[in-house]
Amino acid sequence: MAQPTTDTSAEDALVNAARAGDRSAFGLLYDRYARMVHGILLCRVPPREVDDLVQEVFLLALRKLDSLRDISRFGAWLSTITRNRANDYFRRSDSLDRAMDPEAEELAESRTNDHVVEQEAAMTLAVLRTLPETYREPLTLRLVEGMTGPEIAMRIGLTHGSVRVNLHRGMQMLREKLAERVQGNLPEKTLGAE
Amino acid sequence: MKDDYLWDGSGEPDPEVQKLENLLGRYRHDQPAPAFDQLSEERPAPRWGFASFRFSFQIAAVAAVLLIGVAAFLIIRARLASNAGPAWEIARIEGAPRVGWHSLSANSETAKLKVGQTLVTDNTSRASITLDETGRIEVDAASRLRVVASRPGHERLSLERGTIHATIWAPPGEFVVDTPSAVAVDLGCVYTLHVDDSGAGLLRTTMGWVGFKLNGRESFIPAGAVCATRPKIGPGTPYLEDAPTSFRDALTKFDFAKITPQERNVLLGILLVDARKEDALTLWHLLSRVSDTDRPGVYDRLAALAPPPKDVTREGVLRLDQKMLDSWWNSLGYGDVYLWHMYERTWSEK
Repeated sequence: MAQPTTDTSAEDALVNAARAGDRSAFGLLYDRYARMVHGILLCRVPPREVDDLVQEVFLLALRKLDSLRDISRFGAWLSTITRNRANDYFRRSDSLDRAMDPEAEELAESRTNDHVVEQEAAMTLAVLRTLPETYREPLTLRLVEGMTGPEIAMRIGLTHGSVRVNLHRGMQMLREKLAERVQGNLPEKTLGAE
Repeated sequence: MKDDYLWDGSGEPDPEVQKLENLLGRYRHDQPAPAFDQLSEERPAPRWGFASFRFSFQIAAVAAVLLIGVAAFLIIRARLASNAGPAWEIARIEGAPRVGWHSLSANSETAKLKVGQTLVTDNTSRASITLDETGRIEVDAASRLRVVASRPGHERLSLERGTIHATIWAPPGEFVVDTPSAVAVDLGCVYTLHVDDSGAGLLRTTMGWVGFKLNGRESFIPAGAVCATRPKIGPGTPYLEDAPTSFRDALTKFDFAKITPQERNVLLGILLVDARKEDALTLWHLLSRVSDTDRPGVYDRLAALAPPPKDVTREGVLRLDQKMLDSWWNSLGYGDVYLWHMYERTWSEK
């Protein structure tokens, strides 16, 4: 079967070193996991907030690294911290209304930009963010962050099978939703333009 | 395979996926790593620097012994006197919630909730408790909430009666709530937990997911799902809040009612027929709760609603192969079950 593949010994060594206080090792973990954290946040919180939250997540992880009991699950642990931080963002900023309507937010942000492609990108991201969480996350990591399916599985700690299924179903749903957009209230040229 | 390009970028490029990559790539992460090295320099470990002192070795040794003795005395006394550990900050929302003999009646009044203490709200009062590193909990009227343990990385409360709304930002597995009929373990979430006077409970998850366990019976409750518990039985089978009434009624009887095997078969039949695609969550739990005879029927229905990943076989599921069950769960997309396995052994059931 296709289980997550990872260079476990190297990664475990990095996590161990980081736990022992080696900050350069933690920096290397950042390099490996920053895209995952960024993608998980991007499919939940407004894009303009994501970079700051990425830093916060890693600082929190650095503080909490001692509580990670199984170092081989660093990725799964970090991804949960990231989702929690995204949830907490809405609690702290009292922005539940925005959380309920990410599409409105994306489009509002795009209104300030005259470029059609920028608007199309914002609209596509907004539609992506309306997908169920199951599909939204792997699809964001694949299409936005440029991670491959095996890489997503390895980083988040899921099996190849589950990531592949979710990418496939998510892409199907995204296609349908974008097609509805084309037939719906937005001008067709903004969806079809390269 | 058709999806090879989507999967790992290999094979014939899918123009639609390529277009989306180009379009959305502008949001890609591009920030360099923060200066973690400098961070460590900004927060150096305390150093005593004995070498810089010119005390004799004997004086230094005596001073150290005295210092350790005084510190130990202070720590022991503090623990005995005030249940050392992080304390939850209580804030009154309405009415006059109380801790022991102390009532909070003014809006601005706050108090601490420490290990062993119980926060009590009557029919007209509500309160919230907050711990910076862990989360915030709103305590509804007519509730009793006790702090069982409180130390860095481990917070444990006991909801004896009433309702709490928990928003937890601590890492998964660090926040646990005992109830008379199950133990709730936060796996990164926002949830509401209710316990009635008989000890029966109901957990409703709003974000993330929660693990619920008693006597080896465990349930995972993702966002949008609900799970009931009963004393001496433990957690029932979770279901989505919008599941059809017939489905929910059948599930409640299936989980908790004293029924004959024939009635049980009828109820299982209703569950399998009425299950929607979204109810895969419930059917997955039923796999390990039905008899060997009934399991193939549950498998077939679940496989029709949510096809298993390639690494999951019918034969493996029918013999309850844990890895296959885990893999199927993960494919449902509610959360990584490995997190649960990672943390479930770090706390004990009641």
